[in-house]
Amino acid sequence: MLNRSVAFVGVFILVLAAAVGGCGGQKAPAEAAIASAETAFAAVQAEAVKYLPDQAKGVADAIADAKAALGKGDYQAALTAAQALPGKISELSTAMAAKKTELTATWTSLSESMPKVVDVIQSRIGILSKSKALPAGLDAAKFDQAKSGLASLTSAWTEATTAFGAGNLTEAVAKASSAKSLAVTVMNLLNMQVPAALQ
Amino acid sequence: MAEQKTPNDPLDPTQWYEVVSGDTLSKIAKKFYGDPDLYPQIFEANRDQLNDPNKIQVGQKLRIP
Repeated sequence: MLNRSVAFVGVFILVLAAAVGGCGGQKAPAEAAIASAETAFAAVQAEAVKYLPDQAKGVADAIADAKAALGKGDYQAALTAAQALPGKISELSTAMAAKKTELTATWTSLSESMPKVVDVIQSRIGILSKSKALPAGLDAAKFDQAKSGLASLTSAWTEATTAFGAGNLTEAVAKASSAKSLAVTVMNLLNMQVPAALQ
Repeated sequence: MAEQKTPNDPLDPTQWYEVVSGDTLSKIAKKFYGDPDLYPQIFEANRDQLNDPNKIQVGQKLRIP
């Protein structure tokens, strides 16, 4: 009876040792995988936060989760979480490149058209300001609206170019899009034809 | 009274008007600016195709600044 108990305890210890040894054996790979993911993420993080803040936060959270599991000694969970990180970072990089291409194309188009649009509107408002009477379809209230719209438009476009100059493409495109909407409003108020690219 | 536009460049905001029978630059200025006396604005903007403000042709496409 005693021999059977000793044998049972012995087997239990062996199983426990194997389990502990197995988990402990995953600590180093988990640490290495997390460190590798952190390095990979650090290389794209600054731009990712600018172009895809939500997706970037998702990756940062996933790294934090893996580190938290490691901190709790749950090496299996840490390793599993860390092994998923390269895929997430790769997806982020791909999506970021696509977003950057899209924003660059939008900016290129708007930066080509908006200065001309501002000039055309300024010219028309300047001429109308010299007129003895406003043309049919344009009353004084609409003309005042158009003038204040031009001021807002000019301001929005200046902010857009400033943001672009500072390297903030996302903000530049957002401001330029706002300027574009204002331009459409003002051109409609003045009964001018809106270029197809602005519609 | 939307102005006619040449369709070639979707980014170009230049405003165009196609001359119809009975038009004069003064009438066109009245139409777009409310003031016929502002016709020189249109004449100057179209000096590449107009030599005389009194001579415009039906079908001519004029820039309206």
